[in-house]
Amino acid sequence: MENLYDVLVIGGGMIGSAVARELSRYDLRIGVLEKNLDVCYETSGRNSAVVHGGFAYDTGSLKARLCVEGNRMMGDLAKELDFPFLRCGKVLVGNTKEDMETLKRTMEQGEANGAVGLELIDEERLHELVPAVVGKFAMFSSRSGILDPFQYTIALAENACENGVEYFFDSEVTGIGRDEEGNYHLATTQGEFACRWVVNAAGLGCKTISDMLGIEGYRVIGSKGDYIILDKRTGPLLPMPVYPVPSNTYMGIHVTNTIDGNVTIGPNADMVSDFRYYGVPQENMDYLAESASQLWPHIHKADYIRNYSGILPKWVDEQGVIQDFKIEIRDELAPRAVNLVGIESPGLTAAVPIARYAIEQMKEREELRENPAFNPCRKGIVRFESLSTEEQEKLIRENPDYGEVICRCEKVTRAELLQAIHNPLGVSTLVGIKYRTRSMMGRCQGGYCQMRLEQMIEEELGKKETEILYARQGSQVFFGKVREEA
Amino acid sequence: MEKRDVIIVGGGPAGLAAAVQLHKKGVANILILEREHHLGGILRQCIHDGFGLSRFQTALSGPEYAARFIEEVKRCEIPYQTDTTVLEISPEKVVTAASREGLVQYQAKAVILTMGCRERTRGALGIPGERPAGVFTAGVVQAYMNLYNRMPAKEVVILGSGDIGMIMARRLTLEGAHVQAVFEVQPIPSGLPRNIEQCLNDYGIPLYLSHTVTQIHGDSRLTGVTVSQVDEKLRPIPGTEKEYACDTLILSVGLIPENELSIDAGVQLDGRTRGALVDEHYQTSVEGIFAAGNVLHVHDLVDFVSMEAERLADAAALYVTGETLADCPLGIRTDENVGHTIPQRVSGKADFQLSLRVRRMMKDCRVVVRQNGQEVAAKRMKKALPAEMIQFVVRADKLVSQENLEVSVEC
Amino acid sequence: MLREFTCIICPNGCEIQAQLENGVLTSMTGHTCPKGEAYVRQELTDPRRNIATSVRVQGGELPLASVRLTNPIPKDRIFDAMAEIRGISLKAPVEAGTVVIAQILGYESDVIVTKSVALRG
Repeated sequence: MENLYDVLVIGGGMIGSAVARELSRYDLRIGVLEKNLDVCYETSGRNSAVVHGGFAYDTGSLKARLCVEGNRMMGDLAKELDFPFLRCGKVLVGNTKEDMETLKRTMEQGEANGAVGLELIDEERLHELVPAVVGKFAMFSSRSGILDPFQYTIALAENACENGVEYFFDSEVTGIGRDEEGNYHLATTQGEFACRWVVNAAGLGCKTISDMLGIEGYRVIGSKGDYIILDKRTGPLLPMPVYPVPSNTYMGIHVTNTIDGNVTIGPNADMVSDFRYYGVPQENMDYLAESASQLWPHIHKADYIRNYSGILPKWVDEQGVIQDFKIEIRDELAPRAVNLVGIESPGLTAAVPIARYAIEQMKEREELRENPAFNPCRKGIVRFESLSTEEQEKLIRENPDYGEVICRCEKVTRAELLQAIHNPLGVSTLVGIKYRTRSMMGRCQGGYCQMRLEQMIEEELGKKETEILYARQGSQVFFGKVREEA
Repeated sequence: MEKRDVIIVGGGPAGLAAAVQLHKKGVANILILEREHHLGGILRQCIHDGFGLSRFQTALSGPEYAARFIEEVKRCEIPYQTDTTVLEISPEKVVTAASREGLVQYQAKAVILTMGCRERTRGALGIPGERPAGVFTAGVVQAYMNLYNRMPAKEVVILGSGDIGMIMARRLTLEGAHVQAVFEVQPIPSGLPRNIEQCLNDYGIPLYLSHTVTQIHGDSRLTGVTVSQVDEKLRPIPGTEKEYACDTLILSVGLIPENELSIDAGVQLDGRTRGALVDEHYQTSVEGIFAAGNVLHVHDLVDFVSMEAERLADAAALYVTGETLADCPLGIRTDENVGHTIPQRVSGKADFQLSLRVRRMMKDCRVVVRQNGQEVAAKRMKKALPAEMIQFVVRADKLVSQENLEVSVEC
Repeated sequence: MLREFTCIICPNGCEIQAQLENGVLTSMTGHTCPKGEAYVRQELTDPRRNIATSVRVQGGELPLASVRLTNPIPKDRIFDAMAEIRGISLKAPVEAGTVVIAQILGYESDVIVTKSVALRG
């Protein structure tokens, strides 16, 4: 069959893209089918962006093991793929005797999991680390960190793409069939695709795809968390994420510094069945601010710049108890199908280990030949704002487009926007360019730059104004011109 | 490093007026730095008329008003550089700017901050709901329509009765869009009465006070909003929700002085205006750094922006020629009816222009300035509205001591 | 009968009360200058408005030139005037002050350009 892929990955989020990237180490024809118009519109781009230490999960679980592994390798991965990552540490802050007991247990569990850099600290040490926090003691995890979840996902996808993986956007899988040779035929909103291997990395759609593969019976619920983003001037008050003492199932509302110097507060955890609704209710915003203020009393409405929400797909049993990651090949039901179910937190930390674990299972069934041309390195867009004056000067001399600041809040230049608009994946939405550059992400939320950005997309890609999309399919920004051409 | 007597950050109405006035006062070594391709600032997109009645005694559109100053700048050969973004101002008045030509640093004797303001956004308000396309601030719609020839709306709801929102209600109606209503959370409008009349009433667009948007719907393009009535504490009243189907929500919910550069320069801000604390010379807490226009406090009329910048230039001209500006030890306190004043400190030795806003609507009132409880200046108002900036001169010869001044509004 | 007006001539926006008898103005209060009085008289007989909009520019550095009327026209003819203006297309360069429609709809009011648009560089 001419158009047969060796592997089709369903879902281009951080898990799907990590799988695609790790698979591109082998001599395979790989495609990624993504229903959205970019790789981080759902859970991959809607989370706390924290790289976890691995202490919060049951010893022996995949969550624990792959998280510890992901944490260990994140520094090298960030260098290879050129995405922003900061090992800033994090604290779990407690006040009561029970809190102390929980933290001790958490620490023991962490150590059993192989997590390193965990330490119980007193109030004095806590305030040295995070002066603005309220609490009597804490568990400090020095190996925890934060990253840019958009750049991370994009970096994985771009590196996969540069190593030959084909990305198909706006391609939602609507049905899966198998022919007599055992090849899979995937019906999508963009036509049919055929492959020998299929990988279900559909995130919130994992149950739907699993069912389509004939692996039925998983129960997946959505845990929706809302967040508020604060202005960058709050950043200096928070050098690392501050969490409350966790309960069994829930990490609690935390305050997190972002890699760009903002602060996010959240998430709550509402059980939902609608996986497309990302609205943030008023009462949740009020609740977030109130809860987080008990940990970090610097939350003022004047500093709100945006709110957002994300949904985690949680695999639960009949009693509703949250289960481990499921990464399986069910030869009896769906041979040559890698099924990933319930990949939630710590999926961000564990994405590459998850991918490798999945590929190990493939390799038990089929020999994979190395791809000699594989290049593990990918270069991101050089951020003008992050450079010293001397470096900025040099960069403008080399490329004058770096001298033209388009987004005033985040100081994003024309050069960065041009690189983003011509991104390897071919994403052209306003939000896609925003994720790649931070243009429109600052305190004015695109009040100054969005017109310029929109015009650049039209000019560079030869699009009509009515073709410009904000984020999703159907999100046209314009109805036409005020005055049409004569 | 290049040396300049004065660097003006921003070539909008305040910066241009300051430049022309400085030139008149004999200061020639000026440089205006403007990040856009043209001078004129926000006026370039304000194509409606009604500008210039105070400054030029004639009604002009925004571009025409700006052109009067731009022509003057060109005639006087005042140096300016467009397409240049100021990245940093240091407390020592080193200004770093980027353009396609490179990164340049200037050592200025005086820096004039005239960066204007930005719009409050949906995120800043924290409006609940989804985040589809079709939610814009009024100024963005104005830029799209008047500068970029883009039609971003058909079926429109407007939140906030700010002037730009009302002006865009009319502008959209003229271009064939349908504006269903304007909702204002406060019990009184935030824009000027004349705009309610000529932008809303003329076109049959209703204005609902004490209402706000409590939900935004649509996961791709906006499909509608939920609007609720609010109580006296501005909290939505359950049971009053009403759905409006629309493809566009326009926000005209306030302007915020754009002071990120000022903060880096060490300039102290006033929490009420979110602009700098200034003395009667419009000098900030950093010696030699001055501020005027919307970066200092949000104005209702551009005429007052220009006139304020001209007064600033008078003081800045003295400063750069080596004269000592009078110390300003006298603070200006306000009562609960006054939102803020500009300036916040004065010398007591010279007449000064007092600008202020009231916090609520008051009829038949007097704005009174007192010292030691004694009235030293006053202005009678038939009606004082928060939407309007109130200005009058306080004369030094009426002051009775070296005590702080107190401003109050009395009915 | 009493009719209330918000004067739109200047930003003061005076609230003017006009006393009418059989449609004839008998007295007026609330205005603070003669322009207010003139405004109310005009509103009672023939309300007029100015409009500002844009015309298409070909080959310019901007796609549009802003325009306004030199004098207000009857309020109920605004959309007719808009239809006329919509049909205009100019070639860059365009100078501010240029009359693009003289005496629109036959009134003593011209449509003039309010922003110069240079040739596309």
